[in-house]
Amino acid sequence: MVRQRREDADAHLPLKPLVFQVLLALAGGERHGWALVREVQMRGGFEGVMPGNFYRTLRTMLADGFIEETGDVRDRRHDDERRRYFRLTPLGSAVATAEARRLESLLLEARAKRLLPKSRS
Amino acid sequence: MTAIYRLIVRIAFPSRVRRRFGADMARMFERQLVETRAAGGSVVALWMSAIADACVEGAGERVAMLREWRRAAGRELGRWRWWMHAFLSDSRYAMRLLVKQPAVTIIALLTLAIGIGGNTAIFSAVDALLLRPLPYREPDRLVKVWEKRPAEGVVDNVVAPADFLDWVRMNTVFEDMAAYVSITADLTGAGEPVRLAAAGVSPPFFDILRVQPAIGRTFRREEATPGQHRVVILAHSLWQARFGNDPRIVGRKISLNGVPHEVVGVLPAAFEFPDATIELWAPLAISLAPTPPTRSNHSLEVFARLKPGVTIEAARADMDRVGAVLQKEYPDTNRTHGVYVRPLAEDLSRPVRAGLLMLLGAVAFVLLIACVNVANLLLARAASRRREMAVRAALGAGRGRLAGQALTESVLLGLAGGVAGLVVATWGISLLRGLIPAGLPLIGVQHLGLDGRVLLFTFVLSILTGLVFGLLPAWQIAREDVNQSLKDGGRSPGQLRRRLRAGLVVGEIALASLLLVGAGLTLRSFQRLMNTDAGFETAGRTVALVTLPGRKYVDDQTRLTALEEIERRFGAIPGVRAVGATSRLPLGNENSRMGVGIEGREPTPDTPTRAHIRAVTGRFFEAMGMTLVTGRAFGAADHEQSLPVAIVNLTMAERYWPGASPLGKRVRLGGTEVWREVVGVVGDARNWGLDRPVNPEMYLPVRQLPWTTVFFVVVTDENAPAPGPAMREALRAVDPDLPLSNLRTMEDVARRSTALRQSTMILLSVFGALALILAAAGIYGVMAHLVALRTAEIGVRMTLGAKPADVLRMLLREGAVQALGGLAIGLTAGVLVVRSMQSLLFEVAPADPLTLVGVAALLTSTSLLACYVPARRAMKVDPVEALRAS
Repeated sequence: MVRQRREDADAHLPLKPLVFQVLLALAGGERHGWALVREVQMRGGFEGVMPGNFYRTLRTMLADGFIEETGDVRDRRHDDERRRYFRLTPLGSAVATAEARRLESLLLEARAKRLLPKSRS
Repeated sequence: MTAIYRLIVRIAFPSRVRRRFGADMARMFERQLVETRAAGGSVVALWMSAIADACVEGAGERVAMLREWRRAAGRELGRWRWWMHAFLSDSRYAMRLLVKQPAVTIIALLTLAIGIGGNTAIFSAVDALLLRPLPYREPDRLVKVWEKRPAEGVVDNVVAPADFLDWVRMNTVFEDMAAYVSITADLTGAGEPVRLAAAGVSPPFFDILRVQPAIGRTFRREEATPGQHRVVILAHSLWQARFGNDPRIVGRKISLNGVPHEVVGVLPAAFEFPDATIELWAPLAISLAPTPPTRSNHSLEVFARLKPGVTIEAARADMDRVGAVLQKEYPDTNRTHGVYVRPLAEDLSRPVRAGLLMLLGAVAFVLLIACVNVANLLLARAASRRREMAVRAALGAGRGRLAGQALTESVLLGLAGGVAGLVVATWGISLLRGLIPAGLPLIGVQHLGLDGRVLLFTFVLSILTGLVFGLLPAWQIAREDVNQSLKDGGRSPGQLRRRLRAGLVVGEIALASLLLVGAGLTLRSFQRLMNTDAGFETAGRTVALVTLPGRKYVDDQTRLTALEEIERRFGAIPGVRAVGATSRLPLGNENSRMGVGIEGREPTPDTPTRAHIRAVTGRFFEAMGMTLVTGRAFGAADHEQSLPVAIVNLTMAERYWPGASPLGKRVRLGGTEVWREVVGVVGDARNWGLDRPVNPEMYLPVRQLPWTTVFFVVVTDENAPAPGPAMREALRAVDPDLPLSNLRTMEDVARRSTALRQSTMILLSVFGALALILAAAGIYGVMAHLVALRTAEIGVRMTLGAKPADVLRMLLREGAVQALGGLAIGLTAGVLVVRSMQSLLFEVAPADPLTLVGVAALLTSTSLLACYVPARRAMKVDPVEALRAS
């Protein structure tokens, strides 16, 4: 089973940067759309992300089965607003892990080629 | 501001994305605007990038959508290809199997051929006579209009000329109306003199039917003036037979009844009319001048065409209004009369509709029984193929695929059965053609055959049949427990399978008994009919029609002299015992009813006094074999100058003089002032058909009511030769120009009147017999197979001390239980079904005990016999052998 999922996940690599960012953000628990945007922007590199781009990315991720909606839940703090909450699916987290591994191996390579200093540990 | 952004999103994104995320995107953009303003950034730049973003991403979404569609379509195509491939390989496999087990295949094919062929044949009749639109343009607008007499339960009485003229004048719903009456005409000067069946029609008749003549024209309105125009239209057949297809016939004069008539047109060969014998059409002259037409003499049939858009209900409502007005205006003649409008198609198909639908139902049951048999056959084979199926399932074939394979096989078998059925149908259709009585006013008999519509029906029926009988075996296969089958080697029948097949046997017996109840009841009806006392004799009677043309026999005296001379000469023919003459032949279906006055009895709307009038010669009753109940017959003393007299039948005597003797009482014909004395009462004769009630009838001496068309009845000795030739010779001696027509035996006349009923009975009996044979074969097949499967069980029982007789009893008991279950269902259903078609029965109750007991006995003994043969085989089982075999 586990191997099966890893092969599935590998098929999606490499991920687009924004997709990986969203997966990373959701790895910390379910989020609604705007919260996701803020978190992605805070990690840097996506300050200028626009609604069309962002939501299309979410739609493809939903279609690919990386994330799922948890339903139309009311925000606990802003009672008046309807929000969509998203969370990772098992496939999504597998894909995120796989991508992280891929990036890690790249990082190791970069270190081996001395593009980066060896880790302090 | 966000409204603008929303609009942009709306234009850029496909609807499925916009509906899901549009609001979220707008909200996000709103926040971005707020933040950009708070941070002092460029709102314009944000707008620019938002628009660019929407355009690029929207286009991306649309492309993605297109791709998905293409992929889905490709998948569809792939699935279709897969199905096609599966179907073809299944078909090939099924073919191999069908060929490999020729016995099973041939039995199944024969069974199916009978079922499908029978259905095809009956459907072709239903299609030709009931479903096919009439061969006229816009046939839905064609109707017939009848006189309705609710008090007498009559809705389709012929119409009086004066009423017809008023209907034409007063109605608002018909484009046009035309009266029709059948007549005869003697054609001379074109080969042998011949009497032609002809029709008199109002000039709009052909316009109403939308018939264009092949050459010439149809009638003009002014040609309905009496005595003004002598014009005729020829039927194509007459034109061909007598005038050699001469195109210059139009404008020529031909001699009819000795008077020259101008031919104005010839009808096309394709023209069809219910009475196919009519060869000549003449304009029917009905008008108010010079003498006003009658309201009491009913003779016309009325055809009409509805105005566009007028429904039959609207037409009925309007004609009810017209009828009510006439009732008020002419209470003497019309107080109980209404008007009834009926679609022409319905009017024409009435005589055969109920019978045909019953036959269609019956033959459908035969097919169902055939389906049960084939299903049983396939179940038996599926049982022996359980191991093969189990192995295939174990090798990874899906249940659906296995069931599909089985269904493919049965549909192929159904189609092959359909092809074989076409052979049966061809034969059945020629049988049907012979069984449809000649002379029925039907349109479409000539279309009876295997045309495209019938073939399509057969094709669809074959596939449906295949699905019906294939479903059970396929379902069996799909739900089979693979492990069990592999373990027991595919031998044990399984409790459910046994119950299923027992259920099929019960169903089969139920269907067969239902069908046999129907067949039995029609058989009993026909038997009753044949045993009905007609009130007259048919054996040894020959009848013929003589018409005295008015131009030669100008007054009553010359006519009477001629008739008496003819009667005398017929009587002198060697071997002739008696001769009589009448104006209307029994079973001739010619209406002669009129109102009569009964002295001392005033008719009321609810109790009208009417009688059918016949003019007869003195020895008519003797010649016809009718019994004189009381009083005397007519004699030479009853002549023009003597006391006017009448003889009534028993029904009339009992109805109008209940509890009293009518002798010496006085009656008169409607519209006359002459009182006649009743001098005799004769027994009831079923003049209107053996299955029809007897009406009041009144007979007058022909000398007091001279008639010009007279039927002669000649009674000959048993061994005497047919008197036809001698009669012709005798007639020629009286007047060489007089043709002798309608020469037939009275037995033939009687046969014709029951022919339709007889045909229905024959067909139903054939279907009943087929059902019985199929059911017997089915029961035998199932029992034989079950017994074979239970050989081991029987062996064990016998080892444990059961005697062969016990085994026999056990198996027969099972068979009897099945038979009784099926009978209980079938007989109940049969009685209920037949009750809804009581018009097809004659003096037999739907729950006729004799029929029910007979059917029960027949089916029980058949099914016991079908069980007995395999049970005997089981009795002879050697226990040791049986146990070893398992």
